[in-house]
Amino acid sequence: MWRSFFKILALLYFPLLVLTIILGLYQKKEKFSSLEQVEKRGVSYKKNFLFDLCNSLVYSTQYWSGVAYPVEFDPKGKHSKFIDPYVKFINGFADYDQFRFIDLNGVEFLRYQRLGDNKMTVGELQDKSSRDYVLKALSLKKGQIYLSSIDLNKENGVYERPYKPVLRGVAPIFNVLGKKIGIVVINFRMSRFLNLLKSQITNSNFYLVDADFNIITSNTTSLDLGYKINNDRKGASEKYFLNINGLKAKEQGSFVEKGSLWTYESLSLENILIAAGENYNINPDVISDSNWTIVHEVYPKLLKEKLGHIYKDFILFNCFAIIALIIIAFTLVSSKNREEKFYVELQNKNNSLIKNKERLQVTNSKIKEMNNRLKVRNNQLKDFNYLVSHNLRAPVTSMSIIIDMIKKEEDSDKIKSLLPKLIKVSESVSELTEDIRNYVAILDENEITIESINLRDQIALIKNEFPETLLGSFKVILELDAWESISFSKFYLKSVIQNLLSNAIKYRRDGVDSHVIFQTRIENNEKVLYIKDNGTGINLERHSANMFKLYKRFHRNVSGKGMGLFIVKSQLEALNAQITVESKEGEGTLFKIKF
Amino acid sequence: MDKGNVLIVDDDEIYLYLMKRILKGLSNGMEIHTSTDGEQAIDFIKKCNAEKKLAPKIILLDVNMPFLDGWGFLEEFKKLKINFEDKIHIYLVTSSELPVDKKRAKEYKELNGYIVKPISEEKLSGMLKEVFKSHP
Repeated sequence: MWRSFFKILALLYFPLLVLTIILGLYQKKEKFSSLEQVEKRGVSYKKNFLFDLCNSLVYSTQYWSGVAYPVEFDPKGKHSKFIDPYVKFINGFADYDQFRFIDLNGVEFLRYQRLGDNKMTVGELQDKSSRDYVLKALSLKKGQIYLSSIDLNKENGVYERPYKPVLRGVAPIFNVLGKKIGIVVINFRMSRFLNLLKSQITNSNFYLVDADFNIITSNTTSLDLGYKINNDRKGASEKYFLNINGLKAKEQGSFVEKGSLWTYESLSLENILIAAGENYNINPDVISDSNWTIVHEVYPKLLKEKLGHIYKDFILFNCFAIIALIIIAFTLVSSKNREEKFYVELQNKNNSLIKNKERLQVTNSKIKEMNNRLKVRNNQLKDFNYLVSHNLRAPVTSMSIIIDMIKKEEDSDKIKSLLPKLIKVSESVSELTEDIRNYVAILDENEITIESINLRDQIALIKNEFPETLLGSFKVILELDAWESISFSKFYLKSVIQNLLSNAIKYRRDGVDSHVIFQTRIENNEKVLYIKDNGTGINLERHSANMFKLYKRFHRNVSGKGMGLFIVKSQLEALNAQITVESKEGEGTLFKIKF
Repeated sequence: MDKGNVLIVDDDEIYLYLMKRILKGLSNGMEIHTSTDGEQAIDFIKKCNAEKKLAPKIILLDVNMPFLDGWGFLEEFKKLKINFEDKIHIYLVTSSELPVDKKRAKEYKELNGYIVKPISEEKLSGMLKEVFKSHP
């Protein structure tokens, strides 16, 4: 039962499972694609934000390059009045952290710096001639702007505390005569911008990384530019480096790595004005070695949350489906079992009925056989009754009448004349007694010995008892093709053949070559013997009812008692054989014995 | 008793002899004929008709006989289609008391009676008186 149950369950569930997997995968793909689009929009938004930011920084820097400074410019001395309005202007830009003029030797000659969120104040002048950005910027020509990478601000060679991420915009400055007098260096405060970048559009992680995939800022780290401070990347509790291979493939795209969905887009600061510079008369030439990549990571847990409902739906649906299919399979198996049980019971009942029917048929057959035997026996008893009542009664009656006559008669001569009649009656009684004895012997079938008899041999022996067959005037033809051997009483079979052969010879027809044919056949699985002669035949229309009756004779000029066929029939019926006759006057007679 | 022929049909020769002796003692001038089977009896009747002789007025018919038994005689008698001057009284005289024979006998309107052997002298006398009285 359980094997069938699991088979049906598997057959029902397998297609459903395949279908749900396909649907689940499709749904996952759709969801994934949707998630990817959202992330791409987020990345793109941040890129545009960065573009705008950098544009404003570039133009803010470029502004100072366009100012015509006095010859021998001394902003702290004789040209302080010249610079004061600009200082007020500088104070208004909260994103300005430092504003410096550095001469062509790399030494500051004006330094304004903002402490906390206060106004910008004059700072101590420093020699920056060894700093990279100064070295790069001193070679800048008119119209060129240098944007540094985002870095932590250092003062006097030490990172300023608290750490302050800055981006330096540097541009050359010229006096009214157009002579390059130095460079203007503006340290833009990046914390605000970086925080704006970190503000989550989606729940995913955000990274802004440089060309070496060092993390500039991220919502996953507590420090911006943490890699500058923690050089030991492996030992750090926070990761400041994105070791993701997929990021190296193209400028933008999305992929799955380490269980996360990564969406990224790169941008180079040197190209930032291509799109935005249309609003300005002069497009500055931005020089920068900063290449950033904006990365969004839908981390595994979030991804699982985003896609989780698909798995939940899948599992839930499958659970319900399995429960439903278990019920269906169980119902089907139960139904099938009931059906099989019913069929088995039906088959058993049918078999039982067939057996009963067979038994009944056997019983019926036995009853029928017994009934036939009883009928035969009844007829035999009737014949016996007739034999006794009629044939014995007749001589007794005659005897009684003769005795009455003798009593009444006084004439001795007349009495004497009656005596021969009385003797004749007595003889007929004796003869009848002998016939009765013979008949009773036939009825008493218990004394019969059944044995295997060869018919051919038996006929050959009997044939020799008749001179007519020996002399050749009467032919006995044997056509024993179907069978030759039979189990029967040898005595009875001999008697039957003797009587029938005797009759065939007795009632042979003049003018023809008389013969009798013994022919064997199998009919309905029964042995049948045909005895056919070409004798005088008999009018069955008149005599059929009496053919096998006792003391019946049908031919006036042939001697006989009318005992032969009666004995034949009695002997055959005693052993359940049957005899029938067909005859036509002038043609012959056919006896059929069915054993 | 008036004249009239009697035909006894029986294959028992002793019986025929005895019946003839009894009938002779009962009647004067009555002709008594005998046949040992039905076929002979039919031939006798046919001969009487052919030779314009007096047909038997009474037939005492046995049942069990060779060649043609009592029943066969009755069947053949029906087929004769002879208009007899006097009615022929046929009595079935048999030793059979079987109901089947008695029932069969009733089917023949030609039969006037069913007599079980032995037939006594008194019974024969009564039968003859009745026949000749009602059919002179």
